[in-house]
Amino acid sequence: MKFFTDREICYADILPPSEVRARIEVAVLNFLKILTCADPAISDLLLINRKSSNRRVSQGLLTEDDTWIFLSRSFCKRSLMRANAAKAFIRVWKVMEMCFKILLQEKRVTQRELFYKLLCVSPDCFSSQLQVNRTIQDVVSLLRCSRFSLGIMASSRGIVAGRLLVQEPDKEMVDCSECGSSGYAISGDLNLLDRLVMKTDARYIIIVEKHAIFQRLAEDRVFNHIPIILITARGYPDIATRFLLHRMSRTFPELPIMALVDWNPAGLAILCTFKFGSIGMGLEAYRYACNVKWLGLRGDDLQLIPEESFVSLKPRDLQIAKSLMSSETLQEKHREELALMVQSGKRAEIEALYFHGYDYLGKYIAKKIVQANYI
Amino acid sequence: MEISSASNLCLHLISCAFRRCRLSQQLCRISAVLKSLSPSILQISISDTGIGSCLEEFQDLNCSSIIAAEFWDGILSVKTTAICDDEIYHYHLNLMKNISSSRTLTRLPSNPKNGLKFSGTEVYLSISESIDVLVSEINHFFQKIMILNIPNIAIELVTEREDIPGSRCENVFLANKSNPGPLSTSNVECLKSGLEDYVLRHGNSLTQKCNTCFATSERLKVGSGIACSTENHKSSGLMMEVVVIISELESKCPCFRECSSKTEVLYFKDFTPCSNSHSTLNVLSTIDWQSYGLTLENVVDQGVCVLEWGDSPSHSQIDMVLHCYHKQYPMHKTQPEQHLIKKAVTAALNNLKETHPGILRSAHALKICSHAPDLARSIAGLILSSNDPDFQGECFSLLGLESRELGANAVEDCIQEKIVSVIEMNDRKPRQRNVVAPSLFEDDCDQDSSYQDKEYEEGEDEFIYLD
Repeated sequence: MKFFTDREICYADILPPSEVRARIEVAVLNFLKILTCADPAISDLLLINRKSSNRRVSQGLLTEDDTWIFLSRSFCKRSLMRANAAKAFIRVWKVMEMCFKILLQEKRVTQRELFYKLLCVSPDCFSSQLQVNRTIQDVVSLLRCSRFSLGIMASSRGIVAGRLLVQEPDKEMVDCSECGSSGYAISGDLNLLDRLVMKTDARYIIIVEKHAIFQRLAEDRVFNHIPIILITARGYPDIATRFLLHRMSRTFPELPIMALVDWNPAGLAILCTFKFGSIGMGLEAYRYACNVKWLGLRGDDLQLIPEESFVSLKPRDLQIAKSLMSSETLQEKHREELALMVQSGKRAEIEALYFHGYDYLGKYIAKKIVQANYI
Repeated sequence: MEISSASNLCLHLISCAFRRCRLSQQLCRISAVLKSLSPSILQISISDTGIGSCLEEFQDLNCSSIIAAEFWDGILSVKTTAICDDEIYHYHLNLMKNISSSRTLTRLPSNPKNGLKFSGTEVYLSISESIDVLVSEINHFFQKIMILNIPNIAIELVTEREDIPGSRCENVFLANKSNPGPLSTSNVECLKSGLEDYVLRHGNSLTQKCNTCFATSERLKVGSGIACSTENHKSSGLMMEVVVIISELESKCPCFRECSSKTEVLYFKDFTPCSNSHSTLNVLSTIDWQSYGLTLENVVDQGVCVLEWGDSPSHSQIDMVLHCYHKQYPMHKTQPEQHLIKKAVTAALNNLKETHPGILRSAHALKICSHAPDLARSIAGLILSSNDPDFQGECFSLLGLESRELGANAVEDCIQEKIVSVIEMNDRKPRQRNVVAPSLFEDDCDQDSSYQDKEYEEGEDEFIYLD
């Protein structure tokens, strides 16, 4: 039950191409009207502020598990009239123009492809992928429509393995346990993901932070010993992986979702992104929050790891830790774990468990699940 | 007023005559007759047909240095009459004594006018000076005064050497021979055409317009500004007029000076060319040149005030003239107020900007304008790639474009032109006022919610954001 927070939410609507084009056309018309009126001006672009100051948290009243973050109605401007920031203003228009053309052609592109296209057409305006990604988020904030609606496909790095059967529309059923260590690749096409038919006899879903760990577990066919589905984004969670995870949680609500991450602030950050969403993609992020629990590595596993495997925390780790600490969404138990990390000044990777043998990982997971040792 | 040389005394008397003629607003003549009785004695007569003199302009002179050095005996013989007077008054002024109260003014018998209506003044004096020196000074002075371009005054210079028979020589100076304006032309309009003429002839170094540089008159961009003091202020009735000219020079012209990075500021006070005071230099250095895209590197006092620019385009030359004068006669001895100078110069620069779009753009405007082509291309691209004819139609009608058959370039150019004109319009507004541009989607502005007028800073993400 959420009441007042709903009024404050800013949504990015999922729209069909024709509607997005219509919104862009309205933007052009408004711009021209203001440019050619009696008191002409060059209109500013009003974007929803994607900063922590505009971040709001929706706490579920009934359970603390149903928490997610969203962006509220705080705005910032991009203006041509500020000489130092004029280029950012131009970039928004360039991306809008490119997306408009893509939608007309009824195509979809990845962010990477968009970057190269923009580099060809306007080399002076764009210098890096990160800049393009940020500008795309500007357009999302301006037009209030999802990135996918703009014709931009998430290039997914996500893969799934284990006790799951998926069927793409008009295609054959795929058994994710027979896909080998490379697993089933998650498409960047959210439409397609939305129409996947899924069946499972698993009892748990495990998010794995790293590709290498995922591969090891898939190769060892861990899911034959314990009824699990393995999913990874191979690092920082991308929207397609989160989308699929969210769908799975809705389709199989009785399956608890657990995360297997390194013992360092970045690992916890990845868990939190799956759990709450991020403000970077704040306008869409709120939709795909899932209830994720922390399986490992945790403080009580440290005794399993040899001393040599511990490495000092780097400044970047401490920065992430600080930022996580200041977030009001962080659960008490997670907060304690984080504090322990910072206090010890050390970090360790999941691979450290191989000290006990390559098949140890599967046993470790099984033991923890059976003991319900997750927070 | 301090007189430092005999020549300066003559020039002062001529400029007083000039002033009186300008105030009369009728056609007037000034005659300066120089007769050398011997190699070092000059008899000078300066006569004019302007309004009558009130003698104050002679009585306040401080000529102690030249009297002491025996260049002048301190005596002025003045005949003057105003249009409403019945007589021509005759005076002798003895300015020998230092203290003005002990100076003597002797009134001599006057001549009746017999009902005729005229006005004018004649001043006689004898000084110890070489005729050639004085003639050269007077010529130089007259050339400078031509910049004021007062249409109603003709100046005649007559020289005669008594020891050389037949040596009488007459020289006439007329305002703006090529383009005489009507007598009613305002001072500032005269000043404009005077400075134009000066610039076209490369500052008095040529007698005719330079055809290498100025084959067409479009090479000159002229702006003018006026400021006047309020009536109730103690320096009431002060006018400050400024004309600024930007010209493009040809490098192959023999007169092409490399000093296009310098501006010599010509200064006139009460219709007399004079050097700039220190306070003028100070004021000029406080003007916000940056908002006109100019960088002032240095203000130099070389007798004349010279503004040295950094970063100016190499073929562009800036010329400037300032004229401060009292609207009424007789005038009070006051310094031109600094704020008047600043106001008038700024008005002249703004006038230039308004009448010649594209010049004197501030650095800020130039930077923003560089983005205009990109923005125009994007908007044009959006319009032309749409498959909705109603949308396109509305866009074209907003832009004032008739045919839909126009190419992409035409649409782009039209949009770019409008964007640039908005940028220039904003550039002309005073800096302090914040130009608040409307936003693209009006319904977003919930003014009661936390509307932050902040610039969105890049690089402030909570997490590394990769997808």
